[in-house]
Amino acid sequence: MTGREVVELIKKNSGVTWNERSFRDTFKAGNPDSQVKGIATTMMTTLDMLKRANEAGLNMVISHEQTYWNDRDDTKDLTLNPLYKAKTEYILKNDMIVWRNHDGLHAMKPDFTVLASLRAVGIKAGDEAVMNAPVYTIPETTLGEFAAQVKRLTGARAFRCVGDPKARISRILLGPGYATPRMRADVDVVIGGEQQEADGGFDNVEYVMDAASLGMAKGVIMLGHVMSEQPGMEDFANWLRGFVHDVPIRLIPNEEPFW
Amino acid sequence: MKPSNISRRQFALIAGSAGAVPFVMSGAEPLTAESVVRRIQMELGGEWGTAGPDGFKAGDTSTVVKGIATTAMATLDVLKQAVKAKANLVLTYEPTFYGRSDGAPAPTGRGPGGPAADDPVVKAKREFIVKNGLVVYRLRDHWQAKKANETVAAFADALGWSKYRLRSDDALYDIPAATAETTVNAIRGRLNLRAGLRAVGDRKATVRRVLLYPGVMPLDTMWQRYSEVDLVLTGEVREWENTFYAADIFTAGEKRSLVTVGRVVSEEPGMRLCADWLKTVVPLPAQWIGAGDPYWRPV
Repeated sequence: MTGREVVELIKKNSGVTWNERSFRDTFKAGNPDSQVKGIATTMMTTLDMLKRANEAGLNMVISHEQTYWNDRDDTKDLTLNPLYKAKTEYILKNDMIVWRNHDGLHAMKPDFTVLASLRAVGIKAGDEAVMNAPVYTIPETTLGEFAAQVKRLTGARAFRCVGDPKARISRILLGPGYATPRMRADVDVVIGGEQQEADGGFDNVEYVMDAASLGMAKGVIMLGHVMSEQPGMEDFANWLRGFVHDVPIRLIPNEEPFW
Repeated sequence: MKPSNISRRQFALIAGSAGAVPFVMSGAEPLTAESVVRRIQMELGGEWGTAGPDGFKAGDTSTVVKGIATTAMATLDVLKQAVKAKANLVLTYEPTFYGRSDGAPAPTGRGPGGPAADDPVVKAKREFIVKNGLVVYRLRDHWQAKKANETVAAFADALGWSKYRLRSDDALYDIPAATAETTVNAIRGRLNLRAGLRAVGDRKATVRRVLLYPGVMPLDTMWQRYSEVDLVLTGEVREWENTFYAADIFTAGEKRSLVTVGRVVSEEPGMRLCADWLKTVVPLPAQWIGAGDPYWRPV
């Protein structure tokens, strides 16, 4: 089976009308017509995960985010960059294939990144777990206790919280990766991966600081981009095994980049 | 953020030809918020159109100003401190009303705007501003355009690194050699940081050359300059871009570090500088009030 054939199978089984014009969901490096020996799913095609995938005999990488450090994987300013050259050479030398699955994955029902991120923070969800997911109600607790539980469950080291740790909360709204939802009246805690801190469309950080100053129970938890969406790429690998049988398939996780 | 005084030399540089003698108004007429802002605009120069983020965001512009507070972000806590300090004109670098549209409806076709006008937090903040006779003005683009180099110096000053600058027109500093871990701990202490500080790279590597970039470090700067230095210190980057560039450089064996301290925290020294500058521009008390590191992490 070639890389191209794997991608066609994913599109066919996705249950969505695939957006063929997405600049994200394309082959990023390697020869799409190379034979696939094994598939590694991952969050980011880092150099580190490429090496671990190659050592594990998995030569096709399906990555949720980019390979060349920008959303469009635009490489025109990188042609003289030694890191770009080393990464690309590593992919070619080892006959690896890199394909990004971002927009298509987020269009599926459920959206694995949302479903698995909810599960990772202790919330059981079903097919309603899509982009713009509903608000989930958990037994009332404090923001501090909830954040500590999330930290334990996800293992995320570098995640960040805003709000009064003593605030009593129960209504949770989660978005994946950079799609951190905006705080609303019917929500106590917003959970996302990362978000521009200020001067964006809606600045959760300042809003929650002010709400806390007014004694309103509001909080934001930012898991980090990888910690937010990585569990979804494991669900995606499990789903892929349902119709790609001949090669090994598994998540090659990214290390949390922060120390 | 920990207070640290601006150096004499730096103060002289900043004051420059604007004169060490404070601006003296003709006659005894009191200064309104509008006239203070006009004076700031004159001093900074350039075209001050209505486009862009700079402008009055709340309060009555004809209010007589008793004192000025500068801040990187006019949170409600900062406003409360301003009232206590008898500063009724607040100059903020970042928005007041939770987004770039800053209380105004977002321009059409430019994505979602901030919260609705009847949002309880927006309402409470507006009421606080009106009740206490505050005026809030956003001073970002024009300040940044004229003072970018000085805000780098102010950031270095807050870190105690002023004397290590390599060239006055670049943001490179050769600090005393130490491990990344030790350097990061020093940064955390100087800026009084909590969970807002995050570091990528080799914590045991020796750090000497540092690039300072207050605010948000763009991707092309990262690509062009990361390999020049041992450590980049900036406010904010996109994790899925710059952070993973740093992670890949680490994997490739280069011993460098990327340290982010939070966008707002990194912008505070520039606004502290702004307060000092204001004292040379208008005959009014001016002080910086920091918004602090917003983030915490459970143990």
